[in-house]
Amino acid sequence: MIDPISASFRSIAVGSGSDAGVAPLRAASPAASTGTPVDFGSFLAQMAADTAQTLKAGEATALAGINGQASAQQVVQAVMTTEQSLQSAIAIRDKVVSAFLELSRMSI
Amino acid sequence: MHDPLSSALRIGASGLEAQSKRLRVVTENLANAQSTGKTPGADPYTRKVVTFENELDETIGANVVKVGGIERHRSPYRVEHNPGHPAADQNGFVKLPNVDIVSEVADMHEANRAYEANLQAIKQAREMIAMTIDMLRTGS
Amino acid sequence: MTTAIHLFDAVSRNNRWLSVRQSTIASNIANANTPGYRALDVEPFEKVLEATRLTLQATQPGHMTDGATKVTAVDVRKSEPWETTHSGNSVSLEQELINAGEVNRAYRLNTGIAKAFHRMLLASAKA
Repeated sequence: MIDPISASFRSIAVGSGSDAGVAPLRAASPAASTGTPVDFGSFLAQMAADTAQTLKAGEATALAGINGQASAQQVVQAVMTTEQSLQSAIAIRDKVVSAFLELSRMSI
Repeated sequence: MHDPLSSALRIGASGLEAQSKRLRVVTENLANAQSTGKTPGADPYTRKVVTFENELDETIGANVVKVGGIERHRSPYRVEHNPGHPAADQNGFVKLPNVDIVSEVADMHEANRAYEANLQAIKQAREMIAMTIDMLRTGS
Repeated sequence: MTTAIHLFDAVSRNNRWLSVRQSTIASNIANANTPGYRALDVEPFEKVLEATRLTLQATQPGHMTDGATKVTAVDVRKSEPWETTHSGNSVSLEQELINAGEVNRAYRLNTGIAKAFHRMLLASAKA
């Protein structure tokens, strides 16, 4: 389930990291405007890793809840956190994809 | 194998039926607690009791309960000395029903409690079925 | 990440076990006044899982099938029954209702988990 998102993130990260066209991205990224240089590609990779981590933890807690080892409170909390991080990851993924598509449509 | 939750509904229904039969018999006993015979020396109302039986229903593979029968309780009648009574025998003794009101009322409470418990079991099984189907519903 | 598949499978197995337990509880409650009736209960979920795992290994290692989780009601009373009447009936209505409440709670949690992860799966697969 987390494969499609992680894969899309990683491919975009790798693509943007090795591409020369990453320079305008770096300039336009919010981190650059605050003054701290941040590689957009590594930022995406970090995001993907964090989301994967949360998803795995959420699934583990849910499994424990089914087998009667975790309390309902723990399970509900874990599932809600997982859902939240997944939702934001999807939103970012969609934004990144559409931005990339827009970039590709720019006249050379 | 048949759906266990539907079996639970069927089993609970058999419990309700059995307990309400029991309750009917108890109220009959209470209503007739003083009913004597009409002719001299005649027998009065005899206390009735239900017997429960466990039955393995093959179609659903579960234990249901059935009322085996309604029988007359064989305890001796109470006897009272009342010479003027229509049912008094030559010695003036009247036979009264072998119904003890206190134990009948206790039985009634028991039947009620068991009825409620069966109802609760049916309600929960029904909720579980609803939850299962509810998983298909879109949204939260 | 096949953990998600394991999750739905776990939910379905546990719910099946809970359903059998519910019908056993219903039998006990219905037979609360049947003379000579002994209260039944199902085997613990871990034992049922173990049995299924063994049968899976027996067929073909690595073959992912659901070897129809067989749950049957057996006469296992782990602790002393709360009461045994002189007619031989060992059903305690309070104990049965407590168990039924527990079954209900677990079932509700399971279906909630399944729904949430199903939602997430659908959302992540949407273009």
